[in-house]
Amino acid sequence: MRLVLERFTHNALALLAVTTILFFMFRLMPGTPLAAFISENLNADQQQAMLEQFGLDKPMWQQYFIYLGNLVQGEMGLSFFQRRPVTTILLEVLPNSLILTLTSLIIAYIFGVLAGAWLAWKRGSWIERAAVPAVLATRAAPEFWIGMVLLAVLSFNAGWFPSGGASSPGLAYTSNWQRIASWDYVHHLALPVLTLALYLQGLPLLLMRSNMLEVMHEEFVTMARMKGFSEWRIVIGHAARNALLPVVTAFALGVGLSMGGNVVIETVFSWPGIGRLLVQAVSVHDYPLAQGAFLMIALVLALMNFVADLLYMVLDPRVSHGRKG
Amino acid sequence: MKRRTLIGTAAATAVAPKAFAQGPTEKVRKLNLYSWPQAAFPQSYQAAQLIAQQWRQLGLEVEVKPLQRQAQTQLIWFSRDKWDVTMWRMVGRPERSDPDEFLYSLYYSAYAEKGYNFIGYINPEYDKLAEKQRTQLDKEERRKTAFQMQEIINRDQPQAFLVHPKYVTAFNKAVFKEDTVVNQQGIGIRNIWTFLTIQPLGAQKDLIINSNETINATNPLYIGGAVDSWVTDLVWDRIMRIGPDGMPRPWAAESVNWVDDKTVEIKLRPGMKWHDGKPVTIDDVIFSFEAPAGTKAPMYKPFVTDIAAMEKVGDMGLRFKLKSVNTTFLTASLAKINLIPKHIWEPVLKDLADKPETAEQLKEVSKIGSGPFKLVRWAPTEEIVLEKFPEHFNAPKIDRWIMRIVPNAEATLGMLKKGEINFLGMFGGDVDVLAKFAKDNPDIATRTEVDIGFEYVAFNNRRPPFDDVAFRRALSLAIDRRLMVSAAWQDYAIPANSHVSPVLSYWHDPAVDSMKTGLADAKKILQDAGYRVVGGKLYYPVGKQEKLTTE
Repeated sequence: MRLVLERFTHNALALLAVTTILFFMFRLMPGTPLAAFISENLNADQQQAMLEQFGLDKPMWQQYFIYLGNLVQGEMGLSFFQRRPVTTILLEVLPNSLILTLTSLIIAYIFGVLAGAWLAWKRGSWIERAAVPAVLATRAAPEFWIGMVLLAVLSFNAGWFPSGGASSPGLAYTSNWQRIASWDYVHHLALPVLTLALYLQGLPLLLMRSNMLEVMHEEFVTMARMKGFSEWRIVIGHAARNALLPVVTAFALGVGLSMGGNVVIETVFSWPGIGRLLVQAVSVHDYPLAQGAFLMIALVLALMNFVADLLYMVLDPRVSHGRKG
Repeated sequence: MKRRTLIGTAAATAVAPKAFAQGPTEKVRKLNLYSWPQAAFPQSYQAAQLIAQQWRQLGLEVEVKPLQRQAQTQLIWFSRDKWDVTMWRMVGRPERSDPDEFLYSLYYSAYAEKGYNFIGYINPEYDKLAEKQRTQLDKEERRKTAFQMQEIINRDQPQAFLVHPKYVTAFNKAVFKEDTVVNQQGIGIRNIWTFLTIQPLGAQKDLIINSNETINATNPLYIGGAVDSWVTDLVWDRIMRIGPDGMPRPWAAESVNWVDDKTVEIKLRPGMKWHDGKPVTIDDVIFSFEAPAGTKAPMYKPFVTDIAAMEKVGDMGLRFKLKSVNTTFLTASLAKINLIPKHIWEPVLKDLADKPETAEQLKEVSKIGSGPFKLVRWAPTEEIVLEKFPEHFNAPKIDRWIMRIVPNAEATLGMLKKGEINFLGMFGGDVDVLAKFAKDNPDIATRTEVDIGFEYVAFNNRRPPFDDVAFRRALSLAIDRRLMVSAAWQDYAIPANSHVSPVLSYWHDPAVDSMKTGLADAKKILQDAGYRVVGGKLYYPVGKQEKLTTE
């Protein structure tokens, strides 16, 4: 329990640091949000009024404490441009980002783990010689390139998938749940998920493969062989279970990382997620929205980090035992 | 390949630099030419490179410095004495069909410090004409003044105009009857007139258009971004609208007449309704023009400050008494102010009265207008859905107008092909790709229109040597405009030398089109003004000292 608390505090402190850095980073960046409002009708007085509206006329340290105070109450302020609460804007698109990320990760990791185990088992065969470079290639290829190729082939030419967005033009749903559960949404989700999954599968696959190779030489595997178990049972039941540990950590961290890293995929597929919101907010100096989006990503990352810690304690008793000793 | 050949020719025709004179002199400092990054705006960046090449042949040291858009705006707009020369653009908008906005704001001296005259051009003669054209209700007279103003700018070259770009839009002619799109002068086919008259051929009765920018707000009292106004235009009516010919015409009014040079009388169109079914009354109109006058709609306030009083004339009539004679009142006010229902907005504004917030920051904005379309659904990063308002006096032929937010330019073409969109409202990619796409897909029709806006090189008139007309003229003449059109804009542009686009044919002065460019002429102007080239470098005339450093 002490350990859980310790890890929790650790993550909370990291978040506070992120918040602080974000706050000052945006304000120290050259440029002002006023630049986007340039118009012949905006005179000096109106510009001043706008700065006051945005709260940018106060000294920076004062702005910072106001910001922190609001944050503690769960209030992230109003977007300068959309004039709506940042929390509302983020929560509108968060489900889309989570669904895209989680679906891709799950597919990538299930595939990666199984394929990695299989490739380890097939060590030395021609399959392995062909598959490993192929995996490395998909991992090295830029996401936008994979995305554009898939779009061109499967959407523009074959016409199997839509070219962008999260639902067909003009479709109305009674609730967000109904929409997410609809065939139309899944159909739109397919290509972005495929792209992201292709990009993500390399890590668990290679990780699993090398872990398996290590584990396969351990005594308990030899023992299982001596017991006369089938190869498949040895791979899945004995070796894979033990090789899985680092993959679990990678998965948890992957959730957080790819939340923020979806900017490219979201742009290529016009997917309404946090990444696109973030790029836009940064480019027009919409500080509250940009901070909010980054913070949301940091929050997910910290949370998943924490979950990974907990999982580790459960999966590998040595972690907590070592501490106690 | 084409590009390279052209550059080659330009370099070959240039006369080898020769010393104008010898002697102890002051060298002109190195100039930084700011531009957008290549990725953000390839045409402009390419133009900057070509211009720098041509200026170097005058003996100038020039470096092209790309800056991100925000950083560039920050420097040019907010640090007005800290730069020498920059690539810049003015974009076309329907209300810019009246030349006033460019004629007045761009070079008016009072706007040099904070307003649109960011280049700091000061000329009392021009100021007088700028004010005069605003008071000339006689169109012919005003045109003469507009011509005089263009000639002054041609003479003084406070900046070097480059091109008026051409914009290409497209639509699916298998879905819509081809001859039912309407071209608006200087704007193209993406305009309200098209959206009202375009006729579906088959079962698809939705017009689905793309935008690469998200909509910030759908608020009749706030302009949050460029695309926002595409929507507000359709949902809220105005007393007048800019017609396809660029002139304001009565819209929600049956008639608009000048009673004298400071009074305009309008007659409201009978039978109009708000989207909630209530009738549109003259009180609503009065309210709509009063609402921005206070402090609660700062963005619209400038458009009503000229109104001294409003008087009802019968049930349907209204007189606007103006503070001063103002020819632009019809375009800048009557065709700009959104009509909003008093029964909805009066309580809202009352509630705001003793709060610091303005109507721009409202969390819940009423979507009730009286326009030809009703706003039914809006997901900011995805799409906005408008539905036809059948009771409108000019009800559209399409059932719905749907705008999809598509940040990926290439994907818009795939969507157009597959019917996910059927109207390409903007295209951020390579125009040649679009042209080829249309050729390969016979259902796709494209339309090209010259823009009211223009691309130019802005000189900082505050900083020597740009305070010298001869220097500015020489730099402008050194730029080969045909090269700009062909090599930088790939023929999707026409050469420019006026702030009034040739598409506004009534107001554009053809006399300024004949500017002869060439390096030889440019060098001669510099030589005549006393500038000298020593060792291949340009020096100031004797007695003039370099006091500034490169910034």
